[in-house]
Amino acid sequence: MFPTPVQKSGPLASAAYQIILPIALVIWLLPLLGVAVTSVRPSGDLAAGNYFGIPSSFAGVENYKAVFRDSPIGTYILNSFKITIPTVIGAVGLSCLAGFALAVYRFKGNLALFFLFVAGNFIPFQILMVPVRDLTLKLGLYDTVTGLVLFHVAFQTGFCTLFMRNFIKGLPFALIESARVEGVSEWRIFLHVVLPLMRPAIAALSVLIFTFVWNDYFWATVLVQGQSAMPVTAGLNSLNGQWVAAWHLVSAGSIVAALPPVLMFFLMQKHFIAGLTLGATKG
Amino acid sequence: MGNVTLTRVTKKFGAVEIIKGVDLTVEDGEFCVFVGPSGCGKSTLLRMIAGLEDISSGSLSIGGRDMTDVDPAERGVAMVFQSYALYPHMTVAENIGFGLRMTGHPKEEIARRTAAAADMLQLKPLLERKPAQLSGGQRQRVAIGRAIVRNPDVFLFDEPLSNLDASLRVQMRIEISKLHQDLKSTMIYVTHDQVEAMTMADKIVVLQAGLIEQVGSPLELYHRPRNIFVAGFIGSPKMNFLKVTARPTEGGVAVTFPGGPSLTIPTETPVIKGETTLTLGIRPEHLDRETGDVTLAGTVRLAEHLGSETLLYVTLADGAEISVKADGLTSARPGDAISIPLLARACHLFDTEGTALHNGDLTR
Ligand SMILES: Nc1ncnc2c1ncn2[C@@H]1O[C@H](COP(=O)(O)OP(=O)(O)OP(=O)(O)O)[C@@H](O)[C@H]1O
Ligand SMILES: [Mg+2]
Repeated sequence: MFPTPVQKSGPLASAAYQIILPIALVIWLLPLLGVAVTSVRPSGDLAAGNYFGIPSSFAGVENYKAVFRDSPIGTYILNSFKITIPTVIGAVGLSCLAGFALAVYRFKGNLALFFLFVAGNFIPFQILMVPVRDLTLKLGLYDTVTGLVLFHVAFQTGFCTLFMRNFIKGLPFALIESARVEGVSEWRIFLHVVLPLMRPAIAALSVLIFTFVWNDYFWATVLVQGQSAMPVTAGLNSLNGQWVAAWHLVSAGSIVAALPPVLMFFLMQKHFIAGLTLGATKG
Repeated sequence: MGNVTLTRVTKKFGAVEIIKGVDLTVEDGEFCVFVGPSGCGKSTLLRMIAGLEDISSGSLSIGGRDMTDVDPAERGVAMVFQSYALYPHMTVAENIGFGLRMTGHPKEEIARRTAAAADMLQLKPLLERKPAQLSGGQRQRVAIGRAIVRNPDVFLFDEPLSNLDASLRVQMRIEISKLHQDLKSTMIYVTHDQVEAMTMADKIVVLQAGLIEQVGSPLELYHRPRNIFVAGFIGSPKMNFLKVTARPTEGGVAVTFPGGPSLTIPTETPVIKGETTLTLGIRPEHLDRETGDVTLAGTVRLAEHLGSETLLYVTLADGAEISVKADGLTSARPGDAISIPLLARACHLFDTEGTALHNGDLTR
C-alpha cells in the first residue's frame, strides 16, 4: 500500500512522527488555547500581569455572563447572520449560474471573461477601501447591512465563480448533451442535472464563504459605524472599556462569536462526500 | 418516418475541416453502421445528426423534414453515449423517465412507458437502484432504455458496447439487433468492431478522414471493396496486399510476383492497357486451399493457434509478409517452409491510386 502506514515504517520515521506531530499541533492550537484560557481568567490576573500562566481561579461563568450583560452581543451576532447568510446565498447562487455558463457554453470571450474572474482574485481589496467607502456613501448604503452584503457578494463572487466553473467543467459533459437530446431545456438541465451534482461544491463553498464573511473585520469597520449594522467581529471591540482593556471579556466574546462557523462546518459536513458522480459513466 | 439524408455535409472545427462533404441516405428502419479508423469523424458525424454539433455547410433532413438548424430536442432522435451518461443522482426508473418528465408528460404515461422499456430490457428488478450500483452491462441497458422510452424515429449509438467485456458485448450485440427487429426504427451505429459492423448492419458506411469511402451491405463491402482502403479495413485478419507487375492478356490480366511465378487472373472486361505495376489483394481465408493456380513459397514466421483456426504469418521469398488463415489442426510451426496455393478467382486487383480494377469472386 502506498503511502506506507506510519506504524509499519522504520523506527526513525515513526519516532519523528510521534515527536513532530504533537509539536505542530501545539503550535497550531496555541493562539486558540491562549484565547480559550484567557476567556476564563479573572480580570485580576490580567491586571497582575498573569497573561499566559495558569489562571488564578476559574472565572468562566462571570466572564461569559458579563459579555452578554455589558455588550449588545446578541444584536451583533444577529447582524452577523443578517450579513453572512445573504452573502453566502448571493455569492454561491450567482457563481453557480456564472460557473455553469462559463463551463458549458462556447461563446466569444468566454475565456477572457473567465480570466477576468481569476485575475480579480489577485487584487488586494484593501486598496479599494477609499473608493468603496465613497461609493457606499454616495449610494446611501453606508452603515447599512445591505451595503455590507452587496460589497461582500461583489468581492466573493469572483473566487466562487472560478471554483464553480472548474467544478462543472469536471462533470461528464455527456450528461448535459444527453439531456439536451432528450429535449430538456437548458434551465432545467441546470436545475435537475447540474445542480444536484454540485452539492459537494456548494457545501464546501458555503462553509468557506460563511467563515470568511463571518470573520471579516476589515469591511465591517470601513463600511459600518453604528451599532445597528455592526457585526460581531467589529462589535467585540466595544467590550474594551474606554480606559481599560478587558481582554478576558473580549476573549470570551470571541469564543462565542467563533461558534457559528464551527456549527456551520459540522452541519455541512455530510454533504462534502466525494464521488457523487460515481456511476455516471463507465467507471 | 425516420429516413435520414445528408447532403454535402461538412464540419469545420476552427480552420480544420473534419467532415469533408458527406452525401448519405439512411432509409427508414435501416440499421446503418459507421466504421472507420480512429479520428476519421464517425462520432462527429453522428453528433451532427443528433444536433450536438452544428453543421458547417450542407443540409440534413430526417423524415423528410429539414433539420439542419433544428435543436436536438426537436429532431426526434435518441442517442446512446459510449460513456452511458446516466444521471448519477437518479434511480434507474428516474433516469429512464427523466426526459419524459421534463417535457411535461403525465405521470401515468411516464410510469407506463418506463415499465414497458424496463420489461423489454429486463431492468424490472433494478428500477430502484442508482447507476453506481449497476454493472457495466446493466448501465448500458439503462442507457438504451432511456432512448427507447422516448419512442424516437432514429436511434443513434456511439460505440455503445466498447466498454463491455467480450462476452457481454456479444450478448448486448444480439439484444440490440433484436431490439431493432422489434422496434423497426432507424438506427445509426458507430463502432470500431468488425464483427459488430458485419453482423448488425443492413448498411455499412466506411469513413476515412472525413470522407465516405464506400457504402454497402456487409457482404458487398467484403466481396466488392471499391478501393484498397475498404478492402483492408473490412475483414479480419486484414486482406494481404502484394506488389505485382501486370500486363493485359486475352480475357484477363497476367500478373508476375516478385519471386518469379506468374498467374493469369480472368476479368470480365479489360482492366489495364499496357504493362504496369498493380497491387494484388487476397484474403487470408482464401489461401487455405488444397490446390491453387499458382503456389507461393515462404517460411512460417509465427503461428497463432486459435483452436478453430490457425493464423500463419508467412514471409515470402522476396521478403513480403502475408497472413494465412489455416485449419485449426495444421501442424505448421515457425521456421517451417510452406507453399501457399493461390486461386486466380479469389484475387482482387488495385491500381497505384488504390482504386479496385477487379474484384475476385469465388462463386464464379
Ligand atoms: N471539439 C473539437 N474541436 C476540434 N477538433 C475536434 C473536436 N472534436 C473532434 N475533433 C477532431 O475531429 C476528428 C474526428 O473526431 P471524432 O471524434 O469524430 O473521431 P472518431 O471517428 O469518432 O474517432 P474514434 O473512433 O476514436 O472515436 C478528430 O481528429 C478530432 O481531433
Ligand atoms: Mg468516436
